[in-house]
Amino acid sequence: MKTYLKILLGVVLFFALAGIGTALYLFNMQHKDIGKAKPDFVITAVDLQKAFEDNEVAATAKYVKKILEIEGEVESVKTGEANVLNVTIKSGSDLSSVICTFVSATDPAKFTAGSRVIVRGECSGFLMDVLMNNCILVK
Amino acid sequence: MKRIVILFTISFLFLAANGQKFMTKNGYIGFSSHTAIDDIKADNNQVAAVLDISTGDMVFQVLIKSFHFEKALMEEHFNENYMESDKFPKSTFRGKIINLSSVDFNKPGKYDVTVDGDLNMHDVTNKISVKGTIEVVQGGVNASSKFNIVPEDYKINIPGVVRDNIAKTLEVTVTIKYAPVESK
Repeated sequence: MKTYLKILLGVVLFFALAGIGTALYLFNMQHKDIGKAKPDFVITAVDLQKAFEDNEVAATAKYVKKILEIEGEVESVKTGEANVLNVTIKSGSDLSSVICTFVSATDPAKFTAGSRVIVRGECSGFLMDVLMNNCILVK
Repeated sequence: MKRIVILFTISFLFLAANGQKFMTKNGYIGFSSHTAIDDIKADNNQVAAVLDISTGDMVFQVLIKSFHFEKALMEEHFNENYMESDKFPKSTFRGKIINLSSVDFNKPGKYDVTVDGDLNMHDVTNKISVKGTIEVVQGGVNASSKFNIVPEDYKINIPGVVRDNIAKTLEVTVTIKYAPVESK
């Protein structure tokens, strides 16, 4: 009987610790490391914007919350609140582009209007432009 | 179809402007929650905002998925459980500066304003009235505000397990730097 209780206690304790461990792990889990993550899609800014403009529902299903590596020409560079960097990449449209918000501590001097860049980040969806977050500069 | 919608929106919102409209697609809206257990903060630097200085009309629009949290799990819960951002991807505020006459857009300086309007998120629209500041600067207009919202007012259900970790009222911070819309 005593052995049985000990085993039971051991099992309960094991699951309790495993549960607490998992909870702590999940709670403190960091965002995906975009620098190490493999892109789900490699696409030009022109094609990406066009995909959303042609069919927002289909493009949302395909690209949102996926890691995209996009290539295109820098239209403008802006620093916002807490020096967060927003880089607008040209699309084929005059009215709508691809806006990339970079992870903190990205140097705005790395971007000049008119230069071609490759950016990797997570697609958040379409507002008036295609929006990308947690971006890093690949090239 | 999308192109027509965008063209219509743009022409409706901006081209009738005659230099009276200001906009940005890089505005900031953040919110924070403070409790004894946890401090939570989220930032969105992709706010689209339009201001018409002739009428005082203001429109703000954000993608819910553009809010960034420090912890990945919080961002996931925020999107999947609370805001249901797959079903309700956007939030919009449409309002008006009700004391527009107290702002001189030709004279640089800070002006206190009150903005009344409709805030839509999570498929619920509520009337809100917030105080803020309009700052007229060289070549543009800045707008800022801090106000509180109650998640329950927008049918955002926070389960009992984490209810004590999230404040009953959230403080929202808005910081917008508008640039004039060039009339074509």
